[in-house]
Amino acid sequence: MLGYYLRLSLKSLRRTPGLTALMVCAIALGIGACIVTLTVYHAMSGNPIWWKNNVLYAVTMDSWEAARPYDPEHPTLPPWQMTYKDATYLAQSNIPKRSVVMAQLHGSLSGVAGQRLPVNALTRATTGDFFAMFDVPFQYGGPWRAEADKGPEPVIVLSKAMNDTLFGGRDSVGKTVVWSGHQFRVTGVLADWQPLPKFYDLIDNGPFAAPEDVFVPFAWTAIMQQFPTGNTDCPSTTKERTFRDFLGSECVWTEMWVELPTAASRHRFQAFMDAYWAAQHRAGRFPRPLNNHLTTVDQWLQINGVVSSDSRILLRVAFAFLAVCLINTVGILLTKFLRGAPLTGLRRALGARRIQIFLQHIVEVSMVSLAGGTLGLALGAFGLLAVRALYGEADQYGALAHFDPLGVAWALALAALSTLAAGLYPALTAGRVPPAVYLKSR
Amino acid sequence: MSLNVKPVVSALRHNRAGAMLVALEIAIALAVMVNAAWIVAQRVHAIETPTGIDYHNMFAIGIAGVTGDFNPSAAEQADLAYVRSLPGVVSASVASGVPLAAHGQGDFFWKSPEQRGAMINPRTMQMDENGLKTLGAHIVAGRDFTAADIVPYFNDYSRLAHEALITQSLARKLFPGGDALGKALYTGSDNLVTIIGITNDFMGSVVRADPSYDTLVFPQTPGTDGFYYILVRTRPGKTQALMQAVVDHIAPSSLDRVITFAHPFDYFKQRLDAENRNVVIFLTTITALVLAVACLGIFGLTTFNVSARTKQIGTMRAIGARRRDVVAHFMIENAIVLIAGVLVGCTLALGAAYWLTAQYQLPRLDLVYLAVGVIGVAIVGQLAAWQPARRAASVPPSVATRTV
Repeated sequence: MLGYYLRLSLKSLRRTPGLTALMVCAIALGIGACIVTLTVYHAMSGNPIWWKNNVLYAVTMDSWEAARPYDPEHPTLPPWQMTYKDATYLAQSNIPKRSVVMAQLHGSLSGVAGQRLPVNALTRATTGDFFAMFDVPFQYGGPWRAEADKGPEPVIVLSKAMNDTLFGGRDSVGKTVVWSGHQFRVTGVLADWQPLPKFYDLIDNGPFAAPEDVFVPFAWTAIMQQFPTGNTDCPSTTKERTFRDFLGSECVWTEMWVELPTAASRHRFQAFMDAYWAAQHRAGRFPRPLNNHLTTVDQWLQINGVVSSDSRILLRVAFAFLAVCLINTVGILLTKFLRGAPLTGLRRALGARRIQIFLQHIVEVSMVSLAGGTLGLALGAFGLLAVRALYGEADQYGALAHFDPLGVAWALALAALSTLAAGLYPALTAGRVPPAVYLKSR
Repeated sequence: MSLNVKPVVSALRHNRAGAMLVALEIAIALAVMVNAAWIVAQRVHAIETPTGIDYHNMFAIGIAGVTGDFNPSAAEQADLAYVRSLPGVVSASVASGVPLAAHGQGDFFWKSPEQRGAMINPRTMQMDENGLKTLGAHIVAGRDFTAADIVPYFNDYSRLAHEALITQSLARKLFPGGDALGKALYTGSDNLVTIIGITNDFMGSVVRADPSYDTLVFPQTPGTDGFYYILVRTRPGKTQALMQAVVDHIAPSSLDRVITFAHPFDYFKQRLDAENRNVVIFLTTITALVLAVACLGIFGLTTFNVSARTKQIGTMRAIGARRRDVVAHFMIENAIVLIAGVLVGCTLALGAAYWLTAQYQLPRLDLVYLAVGVIGVAIVGQLAAWQPARRAASVPPSVATRTV
């Protein structure tokens, strides 16, 4: 029976090639627009470490000045970053399974055999738990030992790209490189790793930035006597001018994360933070109300506004457009099926049941849907290609506009469901055609 | 035959679902088009807001010291001497920030000491006496820096400049009376800064992709944080070649520093506009497509109506209707559908506009856009029905006498 319906549908579609093309194109355009916006939206709104969402927490506390909130537009939020003294103190706690304090530095790499000039190296100074905590994959070697954070030892982890540049992709573990004038030993080389959005670095480089070139122990920030190059915000009351004073100032420039696997450990750490806050408050610091936060990755991405309002608006516009395209298709199908009513009436009179008429029309709708969906998929892929070409890989849209398998599944489901929904009413109408009326006029 | 609406309405009722669908299509299309056009207008305005600098003919190079042996003062002077020696360079300056880019800093200022009164938070830059010329900005009141004003680099923030240039916008904000020149500003730690000159409006470094004209310039050579930027303005068309020459010269000159980036200012401007441009391109495309699809809907409906009613048209003609009466019949029918669609569309458009304003702080929809949208849809919608209506008029009266 299905084969017969297919033949009938093909015949019917071929009879009106213009209308068929119109329907297929309209559906394809709507689906294509939705694919492009959905892909970008999906990439923006993802959580790249969802499996640790209720385990990892960004640590923030309101260390800002009395006169005004850190962000006057969001007065209830503490600063995004921590002061050096608070972060390093809290990191000494053994309540969290792991904890990370980090900041961004300038750096250069040289001293590799055959290398003539130092290369610029975007550096993340971080405590060693970073790699285990964020499940960072290694190509060679691994993170530095925990003791290396204290000394600090001159140990360094290279990104895959940096290792490719300096060592041609060979295993460089144990080799010595010169980072910013000091000799460092390579303990590990990362495998390809680019979490998007870059949840741990929303402030310094933004959510869609490339990963760092190298990682060194956080304690090197104090030794280097070099102001950090990431985002640094100081209260207006700041009087410290030298680097030594800067470390003890109320300027916020470090980022802190903790891994708290259980609710109990989370409560204990929160209590520890609050006790620290109270003690400091008594000592004359923290003029603002207690506002200590442990924020999950999901919440962190959300309050940082990672999903731009533009992408939300474009997504909605794309769906409104798809709606217009589908309504258009419903209209055309309805028109077409009603035009075929005399024939349908004849078939009904010859014994075809309603359900059979309905099924036959649904088959025709499905064929249109399939063609539209496929073409829409191609259009969407082409659209994403165009977006990438327009902005380049390094740009935020370029980096986001990748066709992901989940996106394809979404698009196919969208195409199938929406067109079937659109075809339902016309097919039902066709099924309701009474046999008698159309026979009489003949 | 006068414009008789009654037979049109009764004809419409025969294909009620089809007409309603087309009206709905028009309604959504109108709502999308009007709001999309409004958003596009905002974004085009943002893109076209003057930067106040000659960004087509400029480039910036970031320099970072990476060892303790790095001496920013000596490096800056050597770099500038080389850059200025190149033919085609109009002007060059060292700076602590890059206009239009995210590299830079801001600071808090008050009009009275001890943080009394209103606070302002402009983007600040340190530049030398060639700074303004390099940006292509100029003094509108007071004076520019001279070489004697420039406070040399020091390895911490303990030596500060006590003079500054501010933009017109910032001057107006701080001193609405128009007497900013010579006035004092205070930083949070009560450093006194005297305004010695007022410049035309230009954009400083950018925070969170939100450029502003609130810019303040200190006469100081940067380097305190271990890095500085070289800004260069060239003669037209020379930017790329000169930038490459400077990079090739600086890169091997010292092992104590690295080049962190080298970009023409067109690059920064383009990045600044990227999101807006993306929105403009997408929404313009969608607007055109949605209008096209809605017109095809109208075209399809009228075509169907015409072919379904061939016999009736023949009858009309046979009993005396002229060709143009037939055209009028279908045009009125289409107009009724259009009016219904436009009425619903206006409601939808205003609802969407209200939602956009409430949710995304979009400025309230200018009703001119709605009016233009309505008129545009009406005209284009009627044009879409014109061809099938003309075809209806060519149905000969003799059709009425034939059995199908």
